[in-house]
Amino acid sequence: MRAEPVGAEAGTRPLRPAARPRSRGREFLQALPWIGPALALIVGVVFFPAGVMFYNSTRDISASGVDRGSAGLSNFAEVFAFPYFWPILGRTIVWVVVVVVVTVVLSLALAQLLDKAFPGRRIVRLAVIVPWASSVVMTTMVVYYGLEPYFGIINTFLVDLGLIQDPEGYGWTRNAGTAFAWSIAVAIFVSLPFTSYTILAGLATVPSEVLEAAKMDGAGPVRTYFGVVLPQLRAAIAVAVLINIINVFNSLPILRVMTGSIPGYDADTVMTMIFKYIQNQHRLDVASALSVVAFVIVILIVAAYLRVVKPMREV
Amino acid sequence: MAVLAPAPGLRKTDARRAHYTEDQVSLPRMLLRMAAGLVVLVVFLLPYAIMFFGSVKTKAQIRSVDPTYFPTEWHWENYVTMWSTPETPLVQNLISTIVISVFATLLVLAVALPAAYYTARFRFPGRMVFLFLVIVTQMLQPAVLTSGLFRQFLALDLIDTWAAMILVNAAFNLSFAVWIMHSFFAGIPKEVDEAAQIDGASRLTVLFRISLPLVWPGIVTAIVFTFVACWNEFAASLVILSTAGNQPLAVALTKFVGQYETSWHYVFGVSIVAIIPVVVLFMLIEKRLVGGLTTGSVK
Amino acid sequence: MKTLRGIGVVALAATTALTLASCGFSNDGGGGEGGGTSLDLLVPSYSDNTKSLWEGVIEGFEEENPDIDVNLEVQSWDNLETVIATKIQGGEAPDIYNGGPFASFAADGLLYPAEEVVSPEVFADFQESFIANEQLEGTTYALPLIASARALFVNNELLEQAGVTEPPTDWDSLLDAATKVSALGNGIAGYGMPLGSEEAQAEAAVWLLGGGGTFGDESEITIDDPSNLPGAEQIKAMIDAGATQADPGSTDRSPLMDIFVQGKIGMQVGLPPTVGQIEENNPDLDYSIVPIPTRDGSPFTLGVADQLMAFENDGDKQEAITAFFDYFFTGDVYSDWVKAEGFLPTTKSGAETLGGEEALAPFLEVLPDAQFYPTTNAKWSATDAAFKALFGQLQTQPAEDVLQQIQAQVDAG
Repeated sequence: MRAEPVGAEAGTRPLRPAARPRSRGREFLQALPWIGPALALIVGVVFFPAGVMFYNSTRDISASGVDRGSAGLSNFAEVFAFPYFWPILGRTIVWVVVVVVVTVVLSLALAQLLDKAFPGRRIVRLAVIVPWASSVVMTTMVVYYGLEPYFGIINTFLVDLGLIQDPEGYGWTRNAGTAFAWSIAVAIFVSLPFTSYTILAGLATVPSEVLEAAKMDGAGPVRTYFGVVLPQLRAAIAVAVLINIINVFNSLPILRVMTGSIPGYDADTVMTMIFKYIQNQHRLDVASALSVVAFVIVILIVAAYLRVVKPMREV
Repeated sequence: MAVLAPAPGLRKTDARRAHYTEDQVSLPRMLLRMAAGLVVLVVFLLPYAIMFFGSVKTKAQIRSVDPTYFPTEWHWENYVTMWSTPETPLVQNLISTIVISVFATLLVLAVALPAAYYTARFRFPGRMVFLFLVIVTQMLQPAVLTSGLFRQFLALDLIDTWAAMILVNAAFNLSFAVWIMHSFFAGIPKEVDEAAQIDGASRLTVLFRISLPLVWPGIVTAIVFTFVACWNEFAASLVILSTAGNQPLAVALTKFVGQYETSWHYVFGVSIVAIIPVVVLFMLIEKRLVGGLTTGSVK
Repeated sequence: MKTLRGIGVVALAATTALTLASCGFSNDGGGGEGGGTSLDLLVPSYSDNTKSLWEGVIEGFEEENPDIDVNLEVQSWDNLETVIATKIQGGEAPDIYNGGPFASFAADGLLYPAEEVVSPEVFADFQESFIANEQLEGTTYALPLIASARALFVNNELLEQAGVTEPPTDWDSLLDAATKVSALGNGIAGYGMPLGSEEAQAEAAVWLLGGGGTFGDESEITIDDPSNLPGAEQIKAMIDAGATQADPGSTDRSPLMDIFVQGKIGMQVGLPPTVGQIEENNPDLDYSIVPIPTRDGSPFTLGVADQLMAFENDGDKQEAITAFFDYFFTGDVYSDWVKAEGFLPTTKSGAETLGGEEALAPFLEVLPDAQFYPTTNAKWSATDAAFKALFGQLQTQPAEDVLQQIQAQVDAG
């Protein structure tokens, strides 16, 4: 018997082989042994600190960390009254969209290459894993170090090429615009391995019969890719995008390192702003309020994403 | 995870593999692939080459205003001396990192795998709520959560223990593992399971003998993802682990940062050392990802 | 019932994993072994020596006080305040803490008054000018640990090349000299001006206070004050004249000092540890240390002291803390520590012991004219943060606007 194409079509089939009527409660109880441990871990570890975050957002907390009583919603008022809040939010959206879109497009190409046979493929695959294995902070530090005027090897390279006239190089990390652009580049760079490998793993589950069928139908490589392969990758891409959206939105180290020395708030995202509230201003209460706002924003984004893309629709 | 024999009724298909590896590929096309591979190789390794060159320089050379592309002297001894610096007990830091990451990853697998399988295979009330709840844990910003985590583990008397960090890492990395594996389980045709269940196999047998081998690439992705995240975790370790010897490498690295001077050669050297175990782990399990096993046809 | 058994296996596996994780590894740090008192000591890292210096102190102390255990935690300056804030929220402040601003802790009633945790003789040994900066409403809450004064480091060779014969003493001659040095080209900058976030408040103080301005006092922070304008305007004049390195607004202090050490910068304000840095990395540098040029040439330096403070917590470790402070601040223990870190001592006996140190001489000389940050104001911590976050905008924005923004952020905090 020929294999059914996996994925989309499978959703139309009955879910359980024998659909005996059962009460909802019993169905849930039956699921519990399978999902229970995961639930227990989340409830046990995550709930309390998350609760503290919500609680702190309504408190008045001193610079040294002492709770001085209720603050009502004044912390939230302060978050929204901050004159740079909306530009920062806008920049956050740009940050997420640009990084995720470019990452996915590049990853599709990269996965395609890594899936093809060529001498040395194993080495290339291992090289792609390295940015993933390395800590994001360190990767960013190295790029930052390379971009510094005077010390940086990237600046030296550009000077040697004659692209920069000043012998000490250009202050890439000293100006909000260029520092932000480089941060985006680094964020894409460190997101590529995971995304590529998820897509690569997805490619590995594309049944050969489907590809053969397309070939027999006389489809060229481009049509096969967009007509057959890409739809099969839907689940992998959908999850990779979801995880990337959340990760990139929550990403702090890259911008913290690359834009850390720049005064003002012209290169900040919501996450670096939370960090500045905590680390520089010692305002845990306002930072918590901004975190709650960020949390709501990302939930909305993810909910919208899940609604539109329906990565779970096969079930 | 023990490797179980593939279930009867399934066969590894070599057809797809053949399509990619033994297809008639013209020489120019092969050269083109190699050239592209070379570009990828260079781009992905370049920052780490800079890191490596930095790690064999002296403290002074690294901050030279006259940088050279390659080190002028190779101070390999940095890789020896870094293990006995006054700043941090690096051997213990490495052990800590390994213990925390390995156990956290195992814990994640143990709890995420059944959850991912069940949610992908069966509809039950609360299923979407569960999946959403899982992903919501990822949307919280760690920098703000550390305060609550510290208090929680203080109350549990687990502050400054590996156990605390294993639980934290496992809980916060659970969600992506669940979602990644879920999406792969969902990609297997139901007929495969159904056929086996009709044959009288239990759900667990179906999971281990039939579904699992088919989703190895997804499991490997989830393992690597989880392991890497645990390996590099910083924010919670910083506040929960206060004894120098208990701290993981990510925290130990910051100990080389002084008020006015930083030992960059050690920072870079330790970073290189920290990459190696992950790459080795990956080499060990890469074959699973490369697709030796595929979701083949059902006979 | 195969299904049920299967579920059991999974549940068992998960439980085992959880149990293993929660019981497998117990707390091996933990204090209080042997029934004695344990003290938690949280300190920042000044240099690569810091951890071993403290370990030496602790070893000596524990030998004399076998019933007291000291647990040392060293953090980088970047992480220090995150860690202390988290511990305070958790109700687990360290017993002894080495840090910068103390006033917000004191204002929250978290600290022991200093005189309750150190014997009268040791307390009397501190120099009064430093103690005055550790007080809130007349009570001393912290013990000055080390001090630094700033001075201008001058690259003699570059100044000579540029035809400058005398190191500058006032703003006009500084601007003139720096412009000439910058004109040498080849990546050489006349004056190294670090207004980036790392230590913007220090460079701000050098200029604003050196121009007759003020940061305020115990009761009030006054950044948006007309007296601060000349200094801020002079910074802009230096930048506009091209007398500084590129992008001063976002240049951090440490990397810039590395450039000075390697002879690419004419003049930069430095501290006592800078001497050691030059000795280690470029001993051939021909430099001199002169007082910081001011608006009218009057003597001035920025004095900064870091302090040790004791948190009350449950209030049951007063004796142990006193024993520790008395041990640390007495005799060679203290002077050796300060000398190794390359800072200035804050005690009279320490000053006597280290008075002959050649490297410290130029700094001890300017110390009498030192002005300090208003560290006794509980808002100083917020002011410090506002300078770091905003002061570098001077490069592109009008001076009044920048000072107003800083004041606004302080007032909101």
